[in-house]
Amino acid sequence: MHKPFIPGLGLAAVLLTAALASCSGDEDGTPPEADAGVTERDSGLPPEDSGTPDAGDAGEDAGTPDAGADAGTPDAGEVFPPATLSGFGLFTGTPASGGLRPVEGNIPYTLTTPLFSDYSVKTRTLFIPPDTSARYSASEVLDLPVGTIITKTFAFPADLRVPEENVRVIETRVLVRRPGGWEAFPYFWNEAQTEATLANGGRVVRDVRFIGEDGVERRLDYLVPSKNQCLKCHHVQDAQENQVLIPIGVKARYLNRDHDYGGEALNQLQHLANLGRLTGLPPLDSVPRAPDAFNPEEASLEHRARTYLDINCAHCHNPRATSGNTSRLFLNIENTDAFTLGVCKRPGSAGGGVGGEFDIVPGSHSTSILWYRLDTEESGKMMPELGRALRHNQASRLIADWIDAMPPQSCK
Amino acid sequence: MHPLPLSRAPRAALLALVGLLALPACSDDEPNTPDAGQPDSGTPTDAGTDAGTGDGGTGGEVDPANWPQDFSCEGKEQATLTFNPGEEQELQDAVNSLAECTTIQLGAGTFQFDNAVTIRANGITVKGAGKGAQGEATGGEASTVLDFSNAAANTNGLDVVGKLFTVTDLTVWNAKKDGMRIESSSNVYIQRVRTEWSRENLESNGKYGIYPVKSTYVLVEDCEAYNAADAGIYVGQTLHTIVRRNVAQKNVAGIEIENTKFAHVTHNVATDNTTGLVVFDLPGNPIRGTDIYVAHNTITGNNRPNFASVEASSSTVSQVPAGTGTFILASRRVEFEHNTWGDNNTVDIAILSGLAIEADPVQWAPGFFNYASGDIFIHDNTFTGGSGGRVDNGTPDPERRPLGALVGAVYAYGAAAQGSTGVEHVLWDGIDPAPRNEGLSNPINICVTGNTLPGGTQAALVDFDLQAVSGHILSPEQNVAAAWAETRRYEQGAEPYNCSGFTPALTFR
Repeated sequence: MHKPFIPGLGLAAVLLTAALASCSGDEDGTPPEADAGVTERDSGLPPEDSGTPDAGDAGEDAGTPDAGADAGTPDAGEVFPPATLSGFGLFTGTPASGGLRPVEGNIPYTLTTPLFSDYSVKTRTLFIPPDTSARYSASEVLDLPVGTIITKTFAFPADLRVPEENVRVIETRVLVRRPGGWEAFPYFWNEAQTEATLANGGRVVRDVRFIGEDGVERRLDYLVPSKNQCLKCHHVQDAQENQVLIPIGVKARYLNRDHDYGGEALNQLQHLANLGRLTGLPPLDSVPRAPDAFNPEEASLEHRARTYLDINCAHCHNPRATSGNTSRLFLNIENTDAFTLGVCKRPGSAGGGVGGEFDIVPGSHSTSILWYRLDTEESGKMMPELGRALRHNQASRLIADWIDAMPPQSCK
Repeated sequence: MHPLPLSRAPRAALLALVGLLALPACSDDEPNTPDAGQPDSGTPTDAGTDAGTGDGGTGGEVDPANWPQDFSCEGKEQATLTFNPGEEQELQDAVNSLAECTTIQLGAGTFQFDNAVTIRANGITVKGAGKGAQGEATGGEASTVLDFSNAAANTNGLDVVGKLFTVTDLTVWNAKKDGMRIESSSNVYIQRVRTEWSRENLESNGKYGIYPVKSTYVLVEDCEAYNAADAGIYVGQTLHTIVRRNVAQKNVAGIEIENTKFAHVTHNVATDNTTGLVVFDLPGNPIRGTDIYVAHNTITGNNRPNFASVEASSSTVSQVPAGTGTFILASRRVEFEHNTWGDNNTVDIAILSGLAIEADPVQWAPGFFNYASGDIFIHDNTFTGGSGGRVDNGTPDPERRPLGALVGAVYAYGAAAQGSTGVEHVLWDGIDPAPRNEGLSNPINICVTGNTLPGGTQAALVDFDLQAVSGHILSPEQNVAAAWAETRRYEQGAEPYNCSGFTPALTFR
């Protein structure tokens, strides 16, 4: 057994213990205190952490050389957030040694339609602490318990047509459910691909090059978002209009697909339920499913286009997000109002040279701002604001087809 | 206040009447039932008086020291972190794990950033060594420049959400998007900063220089803003702001006050922009702007060709004709005194209805149908002349800047056939309260009194009746003479625009 496994679960146990401690005299499930959506007091040791014995992980802990000796002594494994990704103990191996392998309990998953991130290849894991479980929700993000850790690792193969070869891993983003709410941390992989270190300030990787599935070489300056930039996408507004950090992808409809677990294909939600990590899962045939946006056999053009907009845009463009609230353009899948979906809607302030005057001109993608901003690569005009420097060709086509298929309408 | 002034008007009829820039509008020769569809706002007695009462503030409000705070650093640990050029990555790492009430002290010189400086904490202060001077791309011994020329695409310069935020004595240079975007924040103090893009007249420059938005209690003072492709200083959707002693030049719009309540805008210089100092509400926004005090500003020579006015634009300022000193649109309870206007080629002041840019009243529903302007008091200012003689610099574009093209066409006729020397100092579009009712006298309470006018000035104000004018100009049988005949001119002091302001008067001045 690799050593990193143990401190990781130790950390989870600490988080869990802290949660129990904080819940004893207080209500749980409330959003973080009403400040500017800041993840406060995150530097250094959480007060709850110091001196807390590793209660709860004694079983797994036994056998480590320093087990017991470090109780009450903060060591690298318990500093939160850990300075390196390995400090979480969520993976064995490194990209340099044949790849990151999630430890037992750290469950890999994929989404039916993922957020586009400049063609990077993304792998995701979900760790829900032992003896806790997520609660199913039909439409919202799963209600995940304190101690949950979500990771997403971004990599560029030299050639997307052979995605397993010559892979350069750039960053791993970690979302942690803490007693006070979710926190996000970017970890940046070194050139040797042996370790990722906490990079709160973000990083820019110049001139990343790869060959696309179409055989065309692409180049970009890749932005590892800073910790605070995570909030730009990952938030909802609370009643005081403060931004509260939340995950995006872990919704039932995006998880509702099979995954290969050691040679066995299983529905991801069912797998979580089987492990006891998910409660309240109804029969699978009554669980909503977001289609693969690029597979015409899975759903209608409309449903696929709306799904793409939902996963790529709706984290901001929904009534509970700051910028969505300002723009009044709501691209979340639940929105059934044509106007706030953009049909013949003038944007509040889209600026000059953005393809047209209206967000969507039915029947005419080329004069629709929504399509223009999703298609363009011009700084200051492209959308989403963060995480895209390149055009997603397939998506540009999908949204164009969707708009063109609408009954033509003059917006004047 | 009746929340739905249009509820008594058949919407289709109203749309036809006000859809003037959209296309051939009706001329007012058509029978017009005097009362049909008359909105209940905008009569002289009640124009705008629903707004601005209550927490309009006292005289003490214009002293930021008296502003209430919902966050304080008193009694809390207040650390100072110091960074010098070359320590950009360390600064970025620190900024993303800030304890509240931290001061970030930036040394003199030039910082090169590859990403936005994103702050999400309360009680933060960012201080440089000085803002330097216009055109300086690098910091000197007593100035600090944050250079974003090589930053990742689509990023702002400073990007802030927080309570009690202060930024002073620095320059944001060549931000990819907005220079300084401060959103959903309270008690914001922006002092002695400069935002600038290196090249003039580029549509691809960042849109906004200094951009506090959706905030409360915002001070912008002693700042400079140059070359923004939309607005140099843009206070948007904000409650309580003081904007004073700033300089805005070479922007499309110099200083913008948008969907904002309780703004005190004084001693600024707005020159050499497309439009100098503007006050407006945008459609679709829930904040109904009101109570704007504009005094001691210099708004001259704003004749820069509109470099945001490119094909397929949707922004408001991209439609503004060059040479517009000030425009007021969909705004109420706005007082101007002791300002100076002159040498603005199109007009010194235009008072417009929101319907002039968005004719569909339904689009104004979120702001309780706030398209109507009203209660505009222009007194004791100085108009130095040289304005109104060359609408949109003589380069009309009916597609991109339709209002300027209409005004230009009418005044070209006026100059040729009627002895007109140009657009009067104040142009009112005559739209509100739509639809127009000739039986009403000064229905939105515009008062123009006691201003110093150039010698020989005859009319100071024109009621342009844009709706009727556009009917004549845009109809297949274009009739410019008939359009001119719809416009009416008033000398200063003549009825009905010789009124003395609005009630209750602004309390903060």
